[in-house]
Amino acid sequence: MATRTLEAGAAGHGAEPRGKRDDDGQATYLVAVAEGLWEEMERDERVFLLGEDIGVYGGAFKVTEGFIERFGAERVMDTPIVEETIVGMALGAAMEGFRPVAEFQYADFMSSGFDEITTALARYHYRSGVPAPVVLRAPSGGGVRASSFHSFNPEPWFAHSPGLKVMCPAFPTDAKGLIKSAIRDDNPCVFLEHKWIYRRVKEKVPEDPDFLIPIGKAEVKREGRDVTIVSYGMMVHHALDAAETLAQEGIDVEVIDLRSIVPLDTEAILASVAKTSRAVVLYESHRFLGVGAEVASVIAQEAFESLDAPVVRLAPPNVPVPFSPALEDAYLPQVTDIEDAVRKLSAW
Amino acid sequence: MATRVKDKKAAAEQWRVGLSDDQLKDILHKLKLCRYFDERMEALYRQGRLPGAIYSGRGQEGTHVGVVYPLHDDDSLFPTHRDLSAQLTKGLELRRVMAQFWGRIDGYTRGRDGNSHIGDWQGNRTWTVMSHLPIAYPVACGAALAYKRRGEPRVAMAICGDGATSNGRWHEALNVSAIFELPVVWVVNNNQYAYSAPNPLEFPVPTIAERAQAYRMPGVRVDGANVLDVYQATGEAVDRARDGGGPTLIESVSLRWRGHAGHDPAKYVPKELLEDYMQNKDPVKRFEELLRSNGVVDDTTVKELDERIQREFEDGYEFAQNSPFPEPGDVTKGLWVEDGYWTSEPGRGGGTQT
Ligand SMILES: Cc1ncc(C[n+]2csc(CCOP(=O)(O)OP(=O)(O)O)c2C)c(N)n1
Repeated sequence: MATRTLEAGAAGHGAEPRGKRDDDGQATYLVAVAEGLWEEMERDERVFLLGEDIGVYGGAFKVTEGFIERFGAERVMDTPIVEETIVGMALGAAMEGFRPVAEFQYADFMSSGFDEITTALARYHYRSGVPAPVVLRAPSGGGVRASSFHSFNPEPWFAHSPGLKVMCPAFPTDAKGLIKSAIRDDNPCVFLEHKWIYRRVKEKVPEDPDFLIPIGKAEVKREGRDVTIVSYGMMVHHALDAAETLAQEGIDVEVIDLRSIVPLDTEAILASVAKTSRAVVLYESHRFLGVGAEVASVIAQEAFESLDAPVVRLAPPNVPVPFSPALEDAYLPQVTDIEDAVRKLSAW
Repeated sequence: MATRVKDKKAAAEQWRVGLSDDQLKDILHKLKLCRYFDERMEALYRQGRLPGAIYSGRGQEGTHVGVVYPLHDDDSLFPTHRDLSAQLTKGLELRRVMAQFWGRIDGYTRGRDGNSHIGDWQGNRTWTVMSHLPIAYPVACGAALAYKRRGEPRVAMAICGDGATSNGRWHEALNVSAIFELPVVWVVNNNQYAYSAPNPLEFPVPTIAERAQAYRMPGVRVDGANVLDVYQATGEAVDRARDGGGPTLIESVSLRWRGHAGHDPAKYVPKELLEDYMQNKDPVKRFEELLRSNGVVDDTTVKELDERIQREFEDGYEFAQNSPFPEPGDVTKGLWVEDGYWTSEPGRGGGTQT
């Protein structure tokens, strides 16, 4: 079972060192990602890391702390502030047989590498047959008072760029298993780590170096009969909190964690809706044309017969992420918003 | 002979680079205010009394005040996250800056952004800072283009750090400004570190100023510890741009005394380097000593100045704490011009506790 701790400090900026698992073997999400990277670097010499402040400093969030000491500066490459070149260089090295893993300091700064990501990296294989095994890692998401340029959820951008696999894990085990799968995958992968989760959620994480989570497979994080919540990332944790409260009111909520956005596990979504007949799609990217818009549309089209109520989408409005606590709380779906939406739906 | 006496007098007065006593005192006020603000805000951040992030500009006040001082009110300034001292020098009001840090409605962004991601285009022609580096460099070209097209004697100035000069946008902007002979002054605040990366990890050339040659514009390297050197070199660049002489690149060298942001202890900065800069190259202390030794200020005036700055800070703090949060329901407003949010009084929410 995953447990949650309160994180000290409001800002989304990394503070404490990476650290290790705690005494009873529990790993935070951040440690789980680090373990996954570490194991894959041990396993495969072709894997190397590049990005800003990842070497000597250990990364803005300290995910790669200690890596340069173990793997050296050639495999833990500190770059200047050159997002386009980080991505382009990763692609070139991948075409020549390496398996680069690039870190963005924040997912927000992926926009500074946009052309190389969405034009070069995403579209290369389809037109040439040349594999591009590149992983782009980035801390994404809000809820940490980090405002417009340090809270973004870019997953719809990349989900809308054919040729990229996109992952947004919510739990340490999934994060570790998915980063390892991404590194072993022959396609370009965008791996979005949620900075709100980094140090908040921990659990016992498998230690087998070949433990993998398949890309493109959702998981039921809570079984229920009455209403399905389909979500991913930070919102999964909010959904689970809401489900607890609702259970006391006799509403039995099923929570599906997508884990991967591309490929999208429509089978898992539809199986759950077939059971519950009611669905809330909860997501942190903008509501308008966001990930949940696709999910809602799949449900509406494929599960029309089983639905007892309209599909509800719960997601932020179409504005940039604001800073002020008063505004950010109004922007992000809150646990109480989720509870209200489910109550309404189950009373339909 | 009379002329010789005059020459001598002029030589003796050269240090003040044409600035009056009042202007010199004003510069001292700005340097000290920025230092004091930086120190107090960091203390509040450490006490957990400040939400969000802080990016200290301590040790770089000579650069920030020096480059902005030659600008006119209607010249524009395009700074980054590190340049709050430059923004304050250009005219941002301390109280509204502080309201911004606490996410209050009276901040310049009405709570939409925090800390130094601030600006006041309508008021004093400062760009509302964005994080992506150096995203405002190309934008400064556009403002300068507008001045040139209309034949206005105005100048655009952009500031960024040493690290941002590695980015393609930096080079594109310099290139374009040279081709079109735009009235821009490019400032690089070289504080020797980009987060944890020292200069040699960012670029292969020994100085940033020499990169100007590649774009056929003057490149000047100045010592950020001497605010008047910075002022003079920038003043020439600003005048040249205003007179149609095109862009200049100014590299002002200092050291980032604190970490990249509030959370960073900056263990990667060698202790001796930091001590040298703090002890021997403190732009605020140096300038105060210069004014004291030339009799422009003395113990009494400096004490008065320090007290005034404390009062200004306390006043700003009070103002910020008493300013309400934005109205949560306004979160969707202000995206479009036609909803009128930015041209009307904003909703003032409840509660003043963070
Ligand atoms: C395009 C982009 N990538 C990464 C970052 C994250 N980041 C913020 S500040 C910084 C270092 C900036 O160094 P420098 O330009 O020297 O300015 P300084 O902070 O030293 O003033 C980095 C990498 C960013 N803001 N923009």
